Amino acid sequence: MKPMLSTDLNVPDTAVEKAKIEVKGLNFYYGQSKALKDINLSLPERSVTAFIGPSGCGKSTLLRVLNRIYELYPKQSAEGQVLLDGKNILDRSQDLNLLRTKIGMVFQKPTPFPMSIYENIAFGVRLYEKISKAEMDNRVESALKRAALWNEVKDKLNASGQSLSGGQQQRLCIARTVAVKPEVILLDEPASALDPLSTAKIEELIDELQADYTIVIVTHNMQQAARVSRQTAFMYLGELVEFDRTEKIFTSPHEKRTQDYITGRFG
Amino acid sequence: MSTALSLHQSRKRKNSVMMALCVVAAGIGLAWLALILGALIYKGLSGVSLAVFTEMTPPPGDAGGLLNAIYGSIVMTIIGILVGTPIGVLAGTYMAEYGRFSKLTTVVRFINDILLSAPSIIVGLFVYELMVRPMGHFSAIAGAVALSILVIPVVVRTTEDMLNLVPNALREAGTAIGAPRWVVIRSVAYRAAMSGIVTGILLAVARISGETAPLLFTALNNQFWSSNLNAPMASLPVTIFQFALSPYEEWQQLAWTGALIITLTVLGLSIFARSLTGRREDR
Repeated sequence: MKPMLSTDLNVPDTAVEKAKIEVKGLNFYYGQSKALKDINLSLPERSVTAFIGPSGCGKSTLLRVLNRIYELYPKQSAEGQVLLDGKNILDRSQDLNLLRTKIGMVFQKPTPFPMSIYENIAFGVRLYEKISKAEMDNRVESALKRAALWNEVKDKLNASGQSLSGGQQQRLCIARTVAVKPEVILLDEPASALDPLSTAKIEELIDELQADYTIVIVTHNMQQAARVSRQTAFMYLGELVEFDRTEKIFTSPHEKRTQDYITGRFG
Repeated sequence: MSTALSLHQSRKRKNSVMMALCVVAAGIGLAWLALILGALIYKGLSGVSLAVFTEMTPPPGDAGGLLNAIYGSIVMTIIGILVGTPIGVLAGTYMAEYGRFSKLTTVVRFINDILLSAPSIIVGLFVYELMVRPMGHFSAIAGAVALSILVIPVVVRTTEDMLNLVPNALREAGTAIGAPRWVVIRSVAYRAAMSGIVTGILLAVARISGETAPLLFTALNNQFWSSNLNAPMASLPVTIFQFALSPYEEWQQLAWTGALIITLTVLGLSIFARSLTGRREDR
């Protein structure tokens, strides 16, 4: 069979919208082994895109290409193009730290820094902005409000970020990401380590955040993808099998493999 | 039924034999420590007086104290730590952060492990050749350098180990927010590993404050008060060595007292270091 994606599939209704990120002919390697095979897709601005697929299909790898965090490790390499507002971020001349202030990321396990709640948020802001204490206070407050955490922590901003519960820690990580005013937020299974109540809160939050940010979420949980996303990409064995509007993927997918996966026949 | 029962019985017997052996072995290990501590306290405590901390080492047959030796030990230990710690921490940082995947790290780790278990007298001889001979005389600074060479491998090892315990997810999170590598190391990794790194430094202090051999060839000893780093300087371990070998009773008593002081200091530092790591694990 030919590469899975022909262009007609690649331009769902989203084609009329501005593409924030365009991935073109992306291949990714862990050493010798090829983990992503000729990925092409475009993520529309200010909406939620979900990557689904069985473990090892490359969905997290694809996400980690978008902010080039994979470069922390040697022997991992990407080729092809990833265009952010039309500019190739895989370019050698791309400043990685600046890229990451534009493209924030939240991880599977909550990762509060070993410092106070306040400092967890101020840390990222301080890296690129010199602002007064009062402005910083405002910034921290609005970020925590944005992440629906303010009411729970406003009386203990100096407590350690690691003293919070798992769900609160994850929202702190989202607040920290939002505080540096990124344009894109990458979420790598952000709720898979959380209880159902915390998961619901995170999902609500994603729904609110899409008004201002382009969001990409990797998830194992198909119901979650169906609930929060507008577009869904189904990946399998390093290939992008199908990419379309979420309701299309979950109700009448084009591909047999997508059908099999969402009905639970494999994966 | 009966075989099952006898099997059970014999296992029970074996278990109690094994347990008894383990308890005896643990007891033997502890007994030495108790005996040493007991002997030190018994022999040393009677000599503890204000004079020990205020008077110089006496000539044979006279009363005196250990002030110059205590001072010398403190000075050389502090300089040794001040010189050795930054080198050790930075080398450990290279190995755990920048050079985590490089061949150089493997080589450095191997050499560092050798250095960690190298007899300290060899370090003393090395510094003797390196500094004492060219300078033409023994000196406190040579002693401090010898001690700092002993500090480095301890600190390198603990720094690398502690930084390796910091989850990679934390580094990724720091990187993902746009922090450059050195900021991630300084503000995230160091902070997370802080108590462990400090513990390593304290353990290094404990290690060098009792070292005799490297000082014998470098700082030598001094009967008198000297704060000149370019001259021989007294130290507790060397003074103990000299006094304990002497036939004079006052000197022998001072040797016991000095040994007690070192042991209690090291014990105190180790307990403090333990409490730091303990607190880290609580979190």
